[in-house]
Amino acid sequence: MNALTGMWQNVPAASRDDLAGARRRLLDGMQARPALTTSRRRVVTAPRLLVAAGVAAAAVTAPLVAGGGTPAYAVTENPDGTITVALNEMRDPEGLRADLLTAGVTADVSFLAPHTRCADSRFEGADPSYGSRGHTEAQLRKGVEQWRSFAATQVVDVREIRIRPEFIRPGETLVLEFRDNQDARRPWRLGAWLAKAGSPVKPCTPVADAG
Amino acid sequence: MTTTREVVAADDATLIERSLHEPEVFAVLFDRHAPLLHRYVTRRLGPSDAEDVVADTFLAAFQNRGDYDRGRPDARPWLYGIASNMIGKRRRAETSLYRAYLRSGMHPGEIPGAQVEDGVNTLAVNRPLARALLRLNRADRDVLLLVAWAGLSYQEVADALAIPPGTVASRLNRARNQMRQDLPEGDWQ
Repeated sequence: MNALTGMWQNVPAASRDDLAGARRRLLDGMQARPALTTSRRRVVTAPRLLVAAGVAAAAVTAPLVAGGGTPAYAVTENPDGTITVALNEMRDPEGLRADLLTAGVTADVSFLAPHTRCADSRFEGADPSYGSRGHTEAQLRKGVEQWRSFAATQVVDVREIRIRPEFIRPGETLVLEFRDNQDARRPWRLGAWLAKAGSPVKPCTPVADAG
Repeated sequence: MTTTREVVAADDATLIERSLHEPEVFAVLFDRHAPLLHRYVTRRLGPSDAEDVVADTFLAAFQNRGDYDRGRPDARPWLYGIASNMIGKRRRAETSLYRAYLRSGMHPGEIPGAQVEDGVNTLAVNRPLARALLRLNRADRDVLLLVAWAGLSYQEVADALAIPPGTVASRLNRARNQMRQDLPEGDWQ
Protein backbone atom coordinates (compact mmCIF):
# COMPACT_ATOMS: atom_id res chain seq x y z
CA MET A 1 0.00 0.00 0.00
CA ASN A 2 2.91 2.34 0.71
CA ALA A 3 4.13 1.93 -2.85
CA LEU A 4 0.71 2.93 -4.16
CA THR A 5 0.54 5.93 -1.84
CA GLY A 6 3.85 7.13 -3.26
CA MET A 7 2.86 6.49 -6.86
CA TRP A 8 3.01 9.67 -8.94
CA GLN A 9 3.47 11.73 -5.83
CA ASN A 10 5.53 14.15 -7.92
CA VAL A 11 2.29 15.40 -9.39
CA PRO A 12 2.11 18.80 -7.71
CA ALA A 13 -0.85 20.45 -6.05
CA ALA A 14 -2.36 22.87 -8.52
CA SER A 15 -1.05 26.41 -8.62
CA ARG A 16 -3.21 29.50 -8.94
CA ASP A 17 -2.45 29.54 -12.66
CA ASP A 18 -3.51 25.92 -13.02
CA LEU A 19 -6.81 26.70 -11.30
CA ALA A 20 -7.55 30.08 -12.86
CA GLY A 21 -9.86 28.66 -15.55
CA ALA A 22 -11.80 26.43 -13.16
CA ARG A 23 -12.15 29.27 -10.67
CA ARG A 24 -13.46 31.59 -13.35
CA ARG A 25 -16.01 28.99 -14.40
CA LEU A 26 -17.16 28.64 -10.80
CA LEU A 27 -17.47 32.40 -10.35
CA ASP A 28 -19.37 32.70 -13.62
CA GLY A 29 -21.65 29.86 -12.58
CA MET A 30 -22.24 31.48 -9.20
CA GLN A 31 -23.22 34.72 -10.88
CA ALA A 32 -25.57 32.97 -13.22
CA ARG A 33 -27.60 31.53 -10.39
CA PRO A 34 -29.52 33.52 -7.80
CA ALA A 35 -28.88 32.98 -4.12
CA LEU A 36 -31.00 30.14 -2.78
CA THR A 37 -32.52 32.40 -0.17
CA THR A 38 -34.16 35.57 -1.39
CA SER A 39 -35.02 37.13 1.95
CA ARG A 40 -32.01 39.43 1.89
CA ARG A 41 -32.35 40.18 -1.82
CA ARG A 42 -28.63 40.60 -2.29
CA VAL A 43 -27.35 41.31 -5.73
CA VAL A 44 -24.04 39.61 -6.42
CA THR A 45 -22.03 41.93 -8.59
CA ALA A 46 -18.81 41.26 -10.39
CA PRO A 47 -16.78 43.64 -8.20
CA ARG A 48 -17.94 41.81 -5.07
CA LEU A 49 -16.84 38.52 -6.56
CA LEU A 50 -13.52 39.95 -7.54
CA VAL A 51 -12.98 41.24 -4.02
CA ALA A 52 -13.77 37.79 -2.70
CA ALA A 53 -11.36 36.26 -5.16
CA GLY A 54 -8.64 38.74 -4.28
CA VAL A 55 -8.98 38.23 -0.54
CA ALA A 56 -8.81 34.47 -0.83
CA ALA A 57 -5.91 34.58 -3.22
CA ALA A 58 -3.97 36.90 -0.95
CA ALA A 59 -4.37 34.46 1.89
CA VAL A 60 -2.93 31.66 -0.19
CA THR A 61 0.06 33.59 -1.46
CA ALA A 62 0.84 35.63 1.63
CA PRO A 63 4.14 33.90 2.47
CA LEU A 64 5.54 34.66 -0.96
CA VAL A 65 4.71 38.34 -1.08
CA ALA A 66 5.01 39.30 2.56
CA GLY A 67 8.12 41.35 1.92
CA GLY A 68 6.63 43.18 -1.03
CA GLY A 69 7.51 41.80 -4.43
CA THR A 70 8.47 38.21 -5.07
CA PRO A 71 11.85 37.19 -3.66
CA ALA A 72 14.12 34.67 -5.38
CA TYR A 73 13.20 32.18 -2.71
CA ALA A 74 11.36 31.94 0.59
CA VAL A 75 12.06 29.61 3.49
CA THR A 76 9.09 29.00 5.76
CA GLU A 77 9.15 26.97 8.95
CA ASN A 78 5.80 25.21 9.30
CA PRO A 79 4.00 24.44 12.57
CA ASP A 80 4.40 20.70 11.96
CA GLY A 81 8.19 21.03 11.98
CA THR A 82 8.63 20.80 8.22
CA ILE A 83 10.23 23.53 6.15
CA THR A 84 8.85 24.83 2.88
CA VAL A 85 11.18 26.32 0.31
CA ALA A 86 9.55 28.29 -2.47
CA LEU A 87 12.07 28.73 -5.25
CA ASN A 88 10.99 31.44 -7.65
CA GLU A 89 14.33 32.20 -9.24
CA MET A 90 17.52 30.21 -9.39
CA ARG A 91 19.90 32.72 -7.88
CA ASP A 92 21.62 33.28 -4.54
CA PRO A 93 22.29 29.65 -3.55
CA GLU A 94 24.44 30.85 -0.65
CA GLY A 95 21.56 32.91 0.71
CA LEU A 96 19.27 29.90 0.54
CA ARG A 97 21.89 27.75 2.22
CA ALA A 98 22.25 30.30 5.02
CA ASP A 99 18.50 30.59 5.52
CA LEU A 100 18.15 26.82 5.68
CA LEU A 101 20.89 26.74 8.29
CA THR A 102 18.95 29.32 10.30
CA ALA A 103 15.96 26.98 10.03
CA GLY A 104 18.11 24.18 11.41
CA VAL A 105 19.05 22.35 8.24
CA THR A 106 22.65 22.06 7.07
CA ALA A 107 22.40 22.14 3.32
CA ASP A 108 24.46 22.46 0.18
CA VAL A 109 22.67 24.20 -2.67
CA SER A 110 23.66 24.22 -6.34
CA PHE A 111 21.86 25.87 -9.23
CA LEU A 112 22.71 24.32 -12.56
CA ALA A 113 22.36 25.45 -16.16
CA PRO A 114 20.14 23.43 -18.50
CA HIS A 115 21.54 20.07 -19.59
CA THR A 116 24.17 19.96 -16.88
CA ARG A 117 24.58 18.15 -13.60
CA CYS A 118 27.14 18.14 -10.85
CA ALA A 119 29.99 15.70 -11.38
CA ASP A 120 29.62 12.45 -9.45
CA SER A 121 31.23 11.55 -6.14
CA ARG A 122 30.85 14.88 -4.43
CA PHE A 123 30.19 13.19 -1.10
CA GLU A 124 29.44 9.90 0.57
CA GLY A 125 25.69 9.33 0.68
CA ALA A 126 23.88 8.56 3.91
CA ASP A 127 21.94 5.93 2.00
CA PRO A 128 22.40 4.20 -1.37
CA SER A 129 20.27 6.71 -3.27
CA TYR A 130 23.29 8.79 -4.26
CA GLY A 131 25.12 7.28 -7.19
CA SER A 132 22.44 4.65 -7.58
CA ARG A 133 22.36 4.47 -11.35
CA GLY A 134 23.47 0.85 -11.24
CA HIS A 135 20.73 -0.38 -8.96
CA THR A 136 18.38 -3.12 -9.98
CA GLU A 137 14.67 -2.54 -10.23
CA ALA A 138 14.04 -4.49 -7.05
CA GLN A 139 16.58 -2.36 -5.16
CA LEU A 140 14.97 0.80 -6.43
CA ARG A 141 11.50 -0.33 -5.46
CA LYS A 142 12.72 -1.01 -1.97
CA GLY A 143 14.77 2.15 -1.85
CA VAL A 144 11.94 4.49 -2.69
CA GLU A 145 10.24 3.37 0.49
CA GLN A 146 13.26 3.01 2.70
CA TRP A 147 15.94 5.54 1.80
CA ARG A 148 15.74 8.65 3.92
CA SER A 149 16.97 10.86 1.10
CA PHE A 150 13.65 10.33 -0.65
CA ALA A 151 11.67 11.03 2.51
CA ALA A 152 13.64 14.09 3.63
CA THR A 153 12.76 16.21 0.61
CA GLN A 154 9.55 16.24 -1.38
CA VAL A 155 8.46 18.41 -4.26
CA VAL A 156 5.01 19.66 -3.30
CA ASP A 157 4.32 22.24 -5.94
CA VAL A 158 5.70 23.61 -9.17
CA ARG A 159 8.05 25.90 -7.29
CA GLU A 160 8.01 24.43 -3.81
CA ILE A 161 9.74 21.69 -1.92
CA ARG A 162 9.11 20.52 1.62
CA ILE A 163 11.96 19.43 3.81
CA ARG A 164 11.21 17.04 6.66
CA PRO A 165 14.03 17.39 9.21
CA GLU A 166 12.83 14.31 11.09
CA PHE A 167 14.54 12.26 8.38
CA ILE A 168 17.85 14.10 8.65
CA ARG A 169 20.25 12.85 11.30
CA PRO A 170 22.73 15.03 13.19
CA GLY A 171 25.80 15.87 11.15
CA GLU A 172 24.21 15.02 7.80
CA THR A 173 24.07 17.54 4.99
CA LEU A 174 21.09 17.92 2.70
CA VAL A 175 22.48 18.26 -0.81
CA LEU A 176 20.15 20.00 -3.25
CA GLU A 177 20.94 20.27 -6.94
CA PHE A 178 18.43 22.31 -8.92
CA ARG A 179 18.75 22.23 -12.69
CA ASP A 180 17.16 24.88 -14.87
CA ASN A 181 14.46 23.10 -16.83
CA GLN A 182 13.74 25.94 -19.29
CA ASP A 183 10.01 25.45 -18.78
CA ALA A 184 7.86 28.00 -16.94
CA ARG A 185 5.46 25.27 -15.90
CA ARG A 186 8.22 23.07 -14.51
CA PRO A 187 11.01 25.52 -13.93
CA TRP A 188 13.55 23.13 -12.43
CA ARG A 189 14.47 19.56 -11.75
CA LEU A 190 15.72 18.57 -8.36
CA GLY A 191 18.21 16.04 -7.17
CA ALA A 192 18.17 15.73 -3.36
CA TRP A 193 20.30 13.48 -1.21
CA LEU A 194 21.67 13.23 2.31
CA ALA A 195 25.42 13.31 2.72
CA LYS A 196 26.70 11.08 5.50
CA ALA A 197 27.71 12.75 8.76
CA GLY A 198 31.39 13.63 8.58
CA SER A 199 31.49 13.45 4.79
CA PRO A 200 32.49 16.82 3.37
CA VAL A 201 30.55 17.90 0.30
CA LYS A 202 32.79 18.96 -2.55
CA PRO A 203 31.80 22.00 -4.60
CA CYS A 204 29.65 21.22 -7.61
CA THR A 205 31.56 20.87 -10.86
CA PRO A 206 28.99 21.13 -13.65
CA VAL A 207 29.31 18.57 -16.39
CA ALA A 208 27.19 18.05 -19.49
CA ASP A 209 24.18 15.83 -19.09
CA ALA A 210 21.82 14.78 -21.82
CA GLY A 211 18.74 14.68 -19.56
CA MET B 1 -17.48 39.82 2.43
CA THR B 2 -16.40 42.04 5.29
CA THR B 3 -15.35 39.47 7.89
CA THR B 4 -12.49 37.95 5.97
CA ARG B 5 -10.63 36.49 8.93
CA GLU B 6 -13.76 34.75 10.17
CA VAL B 7 -14.43 33.36 6.75
CA VAL B 8 -10.90 32.09 6.31
CA ALA B 9 -10.98 30.45 9.74
CA ALA B 10 -14.48 28.96 9.45
CA ASP B 11 -14.96 25.24 8.90
CA ASP B 12 -16.37 24.04 5.61
CA ALA B 13 -19.89 23.49 6.89
CA THR B 14 -20.06 27.06 8.16
CA LEU B 15 -18.81 28.39 4.84
CA ILE B 16 -21.36 26.35 2.92
CA GLU B 17 -24.18 27.50 5.14
CA ARG B 18 -23.08 31.08 4.84
CA SER B 19 -22.82 30.75 1.06
CA LEU B 20 -26.57 30.19 0.95
CA HIS B 21 -26.92 33.90 1.65
CA GLU B 22 -23.56 35.10 0.36
CA PRO B 23 -22.72 32.96 -2.67
CA GLU B 24 -19.29 34.54 -3.09
CA VAL B 25 -18.17 32.86 0.14
CA PHE B 26 -18.18 29.59 -1.77
CA ALA B 27 -15.01 30.76 -3.56
CA VAL B 28 -13.17 30.34 -0.26
CA LEU B 29 -14.11 26.65 -0.30
CA PHE B 30 -12.65 26.43 -3.80
CA ASP B 31 -9.38 28.05 -2.73
CA ARG B 32 -9.17 25.75 0.26
CA HIS B 33 -9.72 22.42 -1.51
CA ALA B 34 -9.21 22.85 -5.25
CA PRO B 35 -5.37 22.59 -5.26
CA LEU B 36 -5.31 19.08 -3.78
CA LEU B 37 -8.50 17.95 -5.52
CA HIS B 38 -6.87 19.00 -8.80
CA ARG B 39 -3.79 16.97 -7.86
CA TYR B 40 -5.93 13.91 -7.12
CA VAL B 41 -7.77 14.19 -10.42
CA THR B 42 -4.53 14.82 -12.30
CA ARG B 43 -3.07 11.61 -10.91
CA ARG B 44 -6.10 9.70 -12.17
CA LEU B 45 -6.88 11.44 -15.45
CA GLY B 46 -3.94 13.66 -16.33
CA PRO B 47 -3.79 17.47 -16.37
CA SER B 48 -5.87 18.03 -19.48
CA ASP B 49 -9.03 16.63 -17.86
CA ALA B 50 -8.30 17.84 -14.35
CA GLU B 51 -9.32 21.45 -14.84
CA ASP B 52 -12.70 20.48 -16.27
CA VAL B 53 -13.38 17.94 -13.56
CA VAL B 54 -12.47 20.39 -10.80
CA ALA B 55 -14.66 23.11 -12.32
CA ASP B 56 -17.57 20.72 -12.81
CA THR B 57 -17.16 19.37 -9.27
CA PHE B 58 -17.32 22.79 -7.64
CA LEU B 59 -20.16 23.96 -9.84
CA ALA B 60 -22.18 20.86 -8.95
CA ALA B 61 -21.30 21.36 -5.29
CA PHE B 62 -22.36 24.99 -5.45
CA GLN B 63 -25.67 24.12 -7.05
CA ASN B 64 -26.37 21.42 -4.45
CA ARG B 65 -24.99 23.19 -1.41
CA GLY B 66 -28.46 23.48 0.06
CA ASP B 67 -28.44 19.72 0.61
CA TYR B 68 -25.07 19.62 2.38
CA ASP B 69 -25.11 17.89 5.76
CA ARG B 70 -23.93 20.68 8.02
CA GLY B 71 -23.04 18.20 10.72
CA ARG B 72 -19.90 17.43 8.71
CA PRO B 73 -17.36 20.20 9.20
CA ASP B 74 -14.97 18.82 6.56
CA ALA B 75 -16.34 19.01 3.01
CA ARG B 76 -13.61 16.88 1.44
CA PRO B 77 -15.65 13.64 1.38
CA TRP B 78 -18.50 15.50 -0.28
CA LEU B 79 -16.24 17.10 -2.88
CA TYR B 80 -14.23 13.95 -3.59
CA GLY B 81 -17.47 12.00 -3.93
CA ILE B 82 -18.73 14.41 -6.57
CA ALA B 83 -15.34 14.28 -8.29
CA SER B 84 -15.44 10.47 -8.24
CA ASN B 85 -18.67 10.59 -10.22
CA MET B 86 -17.10 13.00 -12.69
CA ILE B 87 -14.05 10.75 -13.02
CA GLY B 88 -16.36 7.78 -13.57
CA LYS B 89 -17.77 9.52 -16.62
CA ARG B 90 -14.26 9.74 -18.01
CA ARG B 91 -13.24 6.20 -17.33
CA ARG B 92 -11.75 5.88 -20.78
CA ALA B 93 -9.43 8.82 -20.09
CA GLU B 94 -8.27 7.11 -16.92
CA THR B 95 -7.53 3.75 -18.51
CA SER B 96 -5.85 5.53 -21.43
CA LEU B 97 -3.56 7.32 -19.00
CA TYR B 98 -2.51 4.06 -17.33
CA ARG B 99 -1.91 2.43 -20.71
CA ALA B 100 0.08 5.40 -21.95
CA TYR B 101 2.18 5.22 -18.80
CA LEU B 102 2.87 1.55 -19.39
CA ARG B 103 4.13 2.41 -22.86
CA SER B 104 6.02 5.63 -22.20
CA GLY B 105 6.88 5.60 -18.50
CA MET B 106 5.75 9.23 -18.32
CA HIS B 107 2.82 10.60 -16.35
CA PRO B 108 1.81 13.89 -17.98
CA GLY B 109 1.24 15.63 -14.64
CA GLU B 110 4.50 14.73 -12.95
CA ILE B 111 7.39 17.06 -12.33
CA PRO B 112 10.23 15.22 -14.00
CA GLY B 113 13.20 14.33 -11.88
CA ALA B 114 11.70 15.44 -8.62
CA GLN B 115 13.32 13.99 -5.52
CA VAL B 116 15.11 11.26 -7.37
CA GLU B 117 18.49 11.28 -8.94
CA ASP B 118 18.45 11.72 -12.68
CA GLY B 119 19.64 8.22 -13.32
CA VAL B 120 17.13 6.73 -10.94
CA ASN B 121 13.50 6.66 -11.77
CA THR B 122 10.44 5.29 -10.14
CA LEU B 123 9.23 3.60 -13.28
CA ALA B 124 10.21 0.22 -11.90
CA VAL B 125 7.92 0.81 -8.96
CA ASN B 126 5.04 2.46 -10.76
CA ARG B 127 4.70 0.42 -13.91
CA PRO B 128 3.46 -2.76 -12.15
CA LEU B 129 1.13 -0.59 -10.06
CA ALA B 130 -0.36 1.06 -13.16
CA ARG B 131 -0.88 -2.36 -14.71
CA ALA B 132 -2.62 -3.57 -11.55
CA LEU B 133 -4.81 -0.46 -11.27
CA LEU B 134 -5.88 -0.96 -14.85
CA ARG B 135 -7.27 -4.38 -13.95
CA LEU B 136 -9.41 -3.19 -11.04
CA ASN B 137 -13.07 -2.50 -11.57
CA ARG B 138 -14.12 1.10 -11.23
CA ALA B 139 -15.86 0.81 -7.87
CA ASP B 140 -12.88 -0.90 -6.23
CA ARG B 141 -10.43 1.55 -7.78
CA ASP B 142 -12.44 4.50 -6.48
CA VAL B 143 -12.28 3.20 -2.93
CA LEU B 144 -8.62 2.24 -3.10
CA LEU B 145 -7.46 5.56 -4.54
CA LEU B 146 -9.62 7.68 -2.26
CA VAL B 147 -7.74 6.03 0.60
CA ALA B 148 -4.26 5.90 -0.97
CA TRP B 149 -4.15 9.19 -2.90
CA ALA B 150 -6.82 11.40 -1.32
CA GLY B 151 -6.02 10.26 2.23
CA LEU B 152 -9.65 9.72 3.22
CA SER B 153 -10.58 7.41 6.09
CA TYR B 154 -12.95 4.47 5.64
CA GLN B 155 -15.80 6.51 7.06
CA GLU B 156 -14.97 9.46 4.82
CA VAL B 157 -14.91 7.19 1.77
CA ALA B 158 -18.30 5.82 2.85
CA ASP B 159 -19.61 9.38 3.09
CA ALA B 160 -18.04 10.32 -0.25
CA LEU B 161 -19.54 7.44 -2.19
CA ALA B 162 -22.76 7.15 -0.15
CA ILE B 163 -22.11 3.49 0.65
CA PRO B 164 -21.96 1.70 4.02
CA PRO B 165 -18.56 1.48 5.76
CA GLY B 166 -18.78 -2.30 5.49
CA THR B 167 -18.94 -2.00 1.71
CA VAL B 168 -15.89 0.27 1.76
CA ALA B 169 -14.01 -2.35 3.76
CA SER B 170 -14.99 -5.20 1.44
CA ARG B 171 -14.14 -3.25 -1.73
CA LEU B 172 -10.82 -2.17 -0.25
CA ASN B 173 -10.04 -5.72 0.75
CA ARG B 174 -10.88 -6.99 -2.71
CA ALA B 175 -8.80 -4.28 -4.36
CA ARG B 176 -5.81 -4.98 -2.13
CA ASN B 177 -6.00 -8.70 -2.82
CA GLN B 178 -6.17 -8.04 -6.54
CA MET B 179 -3.18 -5.71 -6.35
CA ARG B 180 -1.25 -8.27 -4.35
CA GLN B 181 -1.90 -10.91 -6.99
CA ASP B 182 -0.89 -8.63 -9.83
CA LEU B 183 2.34 -7.34 -8.35
CA PRO B 184 5.68 -9.09 -8.01
CA GLU B 185 5.96 -10.87 -4.68
CA GLY B 186 6.81 -8.56 -1.83
CA ASP B 187 6.01 -5.33 -3.66
CA TRP B 188 2.65 -4.82 -1.99
CA GLN B 189 3.13 -4.07 1.66
